Amino acid sequence: MRKLYDDLEVYVIDLSSANDNELLEISREMGLNISLDRMKYLKQYFSNRPPTDVELEMIAQTWSEHCFHNVFKGDVVTDDGRIITNILKTFIVRATRELNKEWCISVFEDNAGIIDFEKGYAIAAKVETHNHPSAVEPFGGAATGVGGVIRDILGVWGEPIALTDVLCFGPLDTKYEDLPSGVKHPRYVYSGVVAGIGSYGNNMGIPTVSGAIFFDKGYTGNVVVYCGCIGILPRELYVRNTGEGDFAVLAGGRTGRDGIHGVTFASVGLTEEAEEFRSAVQIPNPIVEEKLRRAILRIRDEKLASGITDLGGGGLSSAAGETAYRSGLGIDVDLDKVPLKVPDMAPWEIWVSESQERMFLSVPEKNLERVLEIFQEEEVEASIVGRFVGSGRVRVFSKRRVVCNLDLKFLFNPPKVTRRAKIPEFTRVEVNLEEPKDLGEEILKLLSDPNIRSKEDVVRTYDHEVRGCTVVKPIYGDEAGPSDASVIKPLKDSWMGVVISCGINPFYPDPYWMAANSIEEAIRNNTAVGGRRIALLDNFVWGNPENEENMGKLLRAVEACYDFSKALDAPFISGKDSLYNESPLGPVKPTLLITGVGIIPDIRMVITPNLKKEDNPIYVIGLTREELRGSAYLRLKGVDSGEVPRVNKNLSKKIIDTLVKAIDEQLVLSCHDISEGGLGVAAAEMVVATRGLGIEFDISKIPSETRRNDYVLFSESASRFLVEVDGNKSRRFEELFFGMPFNRIGKVVRDVGLRIVDSKSKICELNSSDIKKAWRGY
Amino acid sequence: MRVKVEVRLKPGHFDPEGDVAAKSLRDLGFPVSTVKVGKVYILEVEVDDREEALRLAEDMCKKLLANPVKDDYSVEVLSP
Amino acid sequence: MNANRFKALVLRTGGTNCDLETKVALEELGVKTEIVHMNSVEKKNLLEYHLIVFPGGFSYGDYVRAGAVWGKRVLAKLRLELEKFIEEGRLILGICNGFQVLVEAGMLPGNGAGETPSIALANNSSAKYECRWVWLRVENDETPFTMTMRKGEVLRIPVGHAEGRFLTRSEEDLEELKRNGQVVFRYVLPNGDDANGLYPFNPNGSMYDVAGICNKKGKVMGMMPHPERAFFGWQLPEWDRRPPEKGDGRKIFESIVKYLHDSNGL
Repeated sequence: MRKLYDDLEVYVIDLSSANDNELLEISREMGLNISLDRMKYLKQYFSNRPPTDVELEMIAQTWSEHCFHNVFKGDVVTDDGRIITNILKTFIVRATRELNKEWCISVFEDNAGIIDFEKGYAIAAKVETHNHPSAVEPFGGAATGVGGVIRDILGVWGEPIALTDVLCFGPLDTKYEDLPSGVKHPRYVYSGVVAGIGSYGNNMGIPTVSGAIFFDKGYTGNVVVYCGCIGILPRELYVRNTGEGDFAVLAGGRTGRDGIHGVTFASVGLTEEAEEFRSAVQIPNPIVEEKLRRAILRIRDEKLASGITDLGGGGLSSAAGETAYRSGLGIDVDLDKVPLKVPDMAPWEIWVSESQERMFLSVPEKNLERVLEIFQEEEVEASIVGRFVGSGRVRVFSKRRVVCNLDLKFLFNPPKVTRRAKIPEFTRVEVNLEEPKDLGEEILKLLSDPNIRSKEDVVRTYDHEVRGCTVVKPIYGDEAGPSDASVIKPLKDSWMGVVISCGINPFYPDPYWMAANSIEEAIRNNTAVGGRRIALLDNFVWGNPENEENMGKLLRAVEACYDFSKALDAPFISGKDSLYNESPLGPVKPTLLITGVGIIPDIRMVITPNLKKEDNPIYVIGLTREELRGSAYLRLKGVDSGEVPRVNKNLSKKIIDTLVKAIDEQLVLSCHDISEGGLGVAAAEMVVATRGLGIEFDISKIPSETRRNDYVLFSESASRFLVEVDGNKSRRFEELFFGMPFNRIGKVVRDVGLRIVDSKSKICELNSSDIKKAWRGY
Repeated sequence: MRVKVEVRLKPGHFDPEGDVAAKSLRDLGFPVSTVKVGKVYILEVEVDDREEALRLAEDMCKKLLANPVKDDYSVEVLSP
Repeated sequence: MNANRFKALVLRTGGTNCDLETKVALEELGVKTEIVHMNSVEKKNLLEYHLIVFPGGFSYGDYVRAGAVWGKRVLAKLRLELEKFIEEGRLILGICNGFQVLVEAGMLPGNGAGETPSIALANNSSAKYECRWVWLRVENDETPFTMTMRKGEVLRIPVGHAEGRFLTRSEEDLEELKRNGQVVFRYVLPNGDDANGLYPFNPNGSMYDVAGICNKKGKVMGMMPHPERAFFGWQLPEWDRRPPEKGDGRKIFESIVKYLHDSNGL
């Protein structure tokens, strides 16, 4: 390693004479996290001249798992003899392509997925993970996760209108003694993450409308933080045509040492050394982003820029390189023009810093002055850092000398990686569990389970009303009951709403059915409030994919994504994977979050879970089977056996389509999806949301393959809903569902919270206040 | 002049942030009965006179850094 | 009622984030509304407007204290003009962060604009941000902001803040505000009875359950709850089958329009 110029902190690294060990040593010393195979490829590529540190850093960022998604784009060799190239394309993108919906405007291409809305507007959606930074510094990690996904929406010219967040922690009652050093206590992580999420959204004035919180030992070492953002934009203002001669403008926060090596950090396991990566954690400043948002939306509306992207993983190097590459151009960047937080940064640090709240725009010369004027009016620092050229190369200057000169085609086509997958097998073990005597007691226990009970104490610290567009809130009504999905009314002059839901089932051990259930749950939740035309987003959080079993599980989950996206007619529009979630406690519990973004033609027709009128019939739709493995009930009992719920593709599609029809014909008065905790919990949750009314039903009338009462009540079989139907319209309702498993199981009553009978004999009776107390905690 | 300004709640004033911190610390097993939360501002005041710096800092407290309805403050010169 | 001849100015600065929905509410009632950044406010003649709104948000990140920095900036830039504006009896409304700004600028409770506030909006006693729908009782129905309501009427409007605990220096100060009719809204129980500090009905621990106050003349009002988030019926937290047409927050804006109309703009 030697200096390129005496007065510049730029070094050249001689790879040509390095042996394998030395190559690995270089990768390790520089924190590049590049594998030996790829280091050898670089050695060959750079046989004519040694690369600079700026170049190697840029290559490392671009090729990192976080930026390039090597595993999803590489080859997978399975133990049953298959070779699959690019599982992203083969399964997830393929479903979208085959469904070929005219309302999908941009999928898997830009910073966010874009779908049509109405009146010339489009909806943009993106979900990200920010697990590693949140594990090391919970508040800052979670807050910058929110900030990052908001910029993804700005990065497709969207105005952010709603945030979502799904969080997974270790159990809060974990004993300190059980934590290895380097793993923070879940309670500490929990309070920091929750505060960080709330702080960023609240400060920016974007409502946090949807989410979930899970607790499990599988997250003690690896906290999972999913941050999502929904935006809206006029279709005609979605501009992406950066041209030769356009200027590159960097705007927003200054560039500092915070957040260097964030992506390479995100692409390795979390160890005690993670603390050393602390500089990789970015510092949140939501007010800067708030101003940035104002400026960018003005630039959008005045049609001044030709392209935009956010600075996320890889910082300026990624933003500049990707914009030039996707536009078929090259770019020259002058690092001296980048406003810095500290003066003494080395060129490579400026180039890859992941400081927050920065955006990158391409601007035609004639609009440059106006763009800078708008930034100034909004008190946003902006500077011209480069210019797009026809070279197909990225050239970086520092003190007028070239410190990086790379061919973009080489940069964006790294050698493929190959992973081995061992397909998991599951053998059925009979459930051995005595039937409890008091089922009412079991319902109350489940309602107060940390994974089921109300998260109101957290939800109310997030502003879900700001912008004044929230129709169905995350906590429903004055009784503070559960909502299946949230509804936003984004346009002043349209009644159409955006319906946001999620599905996540990390407790089902079989990854194929875990994914299938998550997809269906996201769709079910959306449908339950009246949503339809649902687009999906997938976010995988997995352990090290170099482990064959992890890879096998990932492959199975991805296969299910194709099967059920296709079968349920819901295309994927965007997704992200976060692999390498490893800690001293082992890999993270494999977790797939499916976010559903649907529409409702008229928000005045939304369906809510609270019971409406005494004597109205209650129906259960869907078939209950003995599917309890991974269920909240068996977890409560400490039993891990039986079968996970399986989704019947045809039946599922039929039920969901018919329910939409029933809602549109105004037959449905209230509705709740049946998921965690089964029918027993779903019925009780409807009672929570209701004042003065309850449900009585006959368990023997539930369409079920099992007749053991606790299994009927707590099985988590898919494709089921609990529905209150308008008493005068029940015949039409039954006509619609003819041929599908469903039954009228009871009615809305006034005298009790929940009464369950078996034919005529009473099984259990719970009053409303006990049910509410169990679920809400008060 | 480097001046330190400390703004804290008046004695006897309800301090929810401090109470939450105290509770969390007790949860962690620390023997903490109360926590009072305040803010510290370190200022580089561009005057050479010590008394003048203190006077300015007090004025800053009155005009911006503290709300006399709920806050007390103290000022101190750290170094010339 | 034709409100087109009335003009409102919604001010904003870095971190303001409720300006758009406030404008939507005013324009829905026909008031011509301009959103202007503090940076370009010098170019405007305040006396062209009948109403100035300081909307909600996190101006300057709530650093130092919520509303403090913007409050002082308002004084530095607009002090004389605002004093004149108030003197002429024109209307100023501060919502949430805007209320905090009016307090920090000394315009509320209104012993004259000045740097030193005489009341405080302190950290919520729950030590958390609180986003929830509350019940407010109208205590003074003679202000321009409440003249279409009757005393004792209960409104449903949501709050969203972490610093809203109303405090005076002393009991005597509070008594004086009460005597002057400066307490406009109080948090109450759903049936309209006093909340007496009971959480979550009083969401922040405010003294005397105070949710909004005005100056002595009643022309400057600040409130923690967000009327613009309770303007349309569909914004309400719970409906039976279909949303009602209007939310209670609308009444405050309607009252403003009626006042301007009755007083012919002034």
